[in-house]
Amino acid sequence: MTFLSRVITAFGGLLLTHACYSAREHTALQSLRAATASSLTSSPTVSSSLPLDIILETLISTLIILVGLVLGTRPLRPIEWRVWAGKIEREGEAGFTDGSGVVDRDYMGNPFSVFESRPNFVDIRKQRKEFAEWVQKGGAEATRYYAGGTQ
Amino acid sequence: MAQPVLYPPTQLSPAAALALSQRAPTILRSSPSTVSSSPFSALFAGSEKSELWLQYENLILSCLRTGDENAARQCLQRLVARFGEDNERVQALSGLVKEAEAKSNSALEGILKEYDQILSESDTNIPIVKRRIALLRSMGRVSDATSALVQLLEFSPTDAEAWSELSDIYLSQGLYPQAIYAMEEVLVLAPNAWNIHARLGELQYMAATAPGVAHGSYQKYMAEAIKRFSRSIELCDDYLRGYYGLKLVSKKLLSDGAKATKLPEDGEVSFPDTKTIERLNELATAKLVEIVRHSTAHDRGWRGYSQAEIAAAQELLSEDESAASGIKR
Repeated sequence: MTFLSRVITAFGGLLLTHACYSAREHTALQSLRAATASSLTSSPTVSSSLPLDIILETLISTLIILVGLVLGTRPLRPIEWRVWAGKIEREGEAGFTDGSGVVDRDYMGNPFSVFESRPNFVDIRKQRKEFAEWVQKGGAEATRYYAGGTQ
Repeated sequence: MAQPVLYPPTQLSPAAALALSQRAPTILRSSPSTVSSSPFSALFAGSEKSELWLQYENLILSCLRTGDENAARQCLQRLVARFGEDNERVQALSGLVKEAEAKSNSALEGILKEYDQILSESDTNIPIVKRRIALLRSMGRVSDATSALVQLLEFSPTDAEAWSELSDIYLSQGLYPQAIYAMEEVLVLAPNAWNIHARLGELQYMAATAPGVAHGSYQKYMAEAIKRFSRSIELCDDYLRGYYGLKLVSKKLLSDGAKATKLPEDGEVSFPDTKTIERLNELATAKLVEIVRHSTAHDRGWRGYSQAEIAAAQELLSEDESAASGIKR
């Protein structure tokens, strides 16, 4: 999806550059023609506008760039509270990861989980004891499995 | 997997905590060892990020848990270098490191004295007050911890975390009405917290099924539990914990039969009728089956549930099935 959007945006940019270049060339040509015409005939020249194809190219290329950029945005966040909360519970981190595998910077899981985990009241000695027991019970085995699973 | 270390690690599983603390040396190496607070250096060295300090705090917690005190000390040193010894949060963190390293009870008493010393200078140092309460509780002096916590809540009544801790202390003592009251205070402060609604429902259920509870209060607790679990589901689609609780409570009520669901005399409690409870039970069963099916199949977008919770839901469902087949026979 991101690759497609980049290709589309780049193509639109190319078209826009081409349109700008054409417009510049056109005005240069016009002024040159006007200068030669005035030196030859000294009659007032008609002011000419850009040809239709350049105008169309500019508009269409802008549209294409817009489409490319819109396609490349992240999926929108749910607006309804219960949908958003459900997404956190159901999908976890995976629901807030963009195409390249980076978790959203402001994703923090359930924001109210601190009321249950209470980090400021943490009983660190109990946690250490529990961790030591877990290691003794063959937690290292599980860790190896865990580390292998995430790679 | 380079996830940010931005949320408190107390809820992580032991394996995840170990993985996090094993990443500590890399994180310590990749971030600058000192960040000057002078505005001139900030002009040249780029802006400092608040995430960095949060990361250090969380690293300290998980490194202490896994016994990697060196890394914890390094993190603490960096925090001290940036914020100074007198910062309240840094004081609490250094107290935490000392607690973790304390070998004997007398060392813990010494730390407690230090906390008292700090509090005698300024008794509104909330991080230290919290540490002191946690230490008291950890040392088994629960009544002291409770009175200190009540005192803290008297001058800081909007601290939801403290109310939640109070509820947990009361629960550990088996004082269900008090625990429920404290948890309700948390809900007043965070009315959208779906996990707190589910937690309150669990407390009500525990209170209802505790031995020696009167019939009237049993009904009151069960009615409240149903309400709380329903609210948590309302706030969060596909909330496994909420549906699990709802199923548990409605199943219990249905097995009690019609007499239990009769309205009590005082009429204070509004109790849903049997038909509603049956429908709630069906809904919870259907949802649980759906969640378990998707999650065990590792479907895309259903991978956020913890394995333990899924296993518990499976067990509850299989109990239901075996009961149903028993009736048929």
